[in-house]
Amino acid sequence: MLESGLCRYVLLSYGHNALSSDSMFTMLTAFSGDDAVFGHFGATGGYALAARRAMHEFNTGPQTWKHIAVGQRSWANLNPQAVMYQKPMTFDDYLAARYVVAPLRLPDNCLVNDGGRAVILTTLERAADLKHPPAVILGLGQHNPSTQVAQSGTLVGSTGARKAFETATSMAGITRDDIDACQIYDCFTYTVEVTLQDYGFFGPGEGEHWFSGGTIAPGGRMPVNTSGGQLSEAYYMGLTPLSEAAMQLMGRCEARQLGPATRTKAPRIILVSDNGAVLQTHTCCILGRI
Amino acid sequence: MGYAKPLPRINGDNQPFWEGCRDHELRFQKCAACGHVRHPPSLVCPQCLGRDGQWIVSAGAGRIFSYAVYHVAFHEGFKPDVPYVVALVDLDEGPRLLTNIVGCAPGDVFCDMPVRVIWEDVTPEISLPKFTPVDRS
Repeated sequence: MLESGLCRYVLLSYGHNALSSDSMFTMLTAFSGDDAVFGHFGATGGYALAARRAMHEFNTGPQTWKHIAVGQRSWANLNPQAVMYQKPMTFDDYLAARYVVAPLRLPDNCLVNDGGRAVILTTLERAADLKHPPAVILGLGQHNPSTQVAQSGTLVGSTGARKAFETATSMAGITRDDIDACQIYDCFTYTVEVTLQDYGFFGPGEGEHWFSGGTIAPGGRMPVNTSGGQLSEAYYMGLTPLSEAAMQLMGRCEARQLGPATRTKAPRIILVSDNGAVLQTHTCCILGRI
Repeated sequence: MGYAKPLPRINGDNQPFWEGCRDHELRFQKCAACGHVRHPPSLVCPQCLGRDGQWIVSAGAGRIFSYAVYHVAFHEGFKPDVPYVVALVDLDEGPRLLTNIVGCAPGDVFCDMPVRVIWEDVTPEISLPKFTPVDRS
């Protein structure tokens, strides 16, 4: 649309009073269909089934996921807009948290909050004289391998992430080593693990080792979900990771800005993921500074 | 007091399945063209798009592919049950069924556990196929 001149700007927006209304719960309950007969509701249960099978097939579980939950929380503690801004979390806090649907604890789940987020797309020509350097879409990939949770063959990987990553990086002309940070759709901690695993950052079962030592946290070698993500900043569907990647590349992130402020590499390329249903649809987007 | 939990919504596709459950039979569609046994019920085979087939009766034995332990009741009717177990069971005939594991403490359930069907008659028309560990004695 932009290239053909049909329009000059495209607004991508999301807003939801998910906390102060029952609309999110109503939507997730409808999504359950006849699974409700057996007490299976919403998203947490489906991801718990995926996460439990993953624990059976390779080394993963709370000792891996605690690094994701705590690492992202430490980013949220630098972000005044984050729901969890003033709520630090330790490994012990994580491991002591109550279960929602085991093996997933409360901090394995994304937030339910009111609010909204928006991103504006325009042409490179129009962006040339804007106040901030633009975040440029370098590559996009999508893969949607399954349509029905109980029949899904992708709950423990490989999810659609693998092919989506290949398409997006190939379009961008980059390799994994060129990526400076990741903004991963994190409806649950396990989603972050299986997505990065399918992107090839580590092999199945190697996540615990890869995440340990603060890899994704401020000061880490591969920052992930630098706003706190859906787990600790706010849930705006795919706009939580997308907007954060754009903001980081534009240099608008203040205390959590990638670069010297957070003892991380100043980013030129940031990978963004989106994921739908229970690991059944996947989009990968590469944003960069040119 | 009536049954307090959601009931299945019967339609033209799944009616034979739920009629089978009422008779304590697990019925699945088997494709005439490729032999694939499918669930949930559907007009065409998801493997080969064949339309012809027959209903077979499962022996009701299988293994747990995965399970989730609900510590929160998202529906009033399940409040007395927490913690309860929702599982995906792979039947020996092939289909995977979303169900509950009963007659077993949630902490004793494991992936690949052998299970067999057990029937819960919840209304005169509806019986639910649930699963319980196979007695290995």
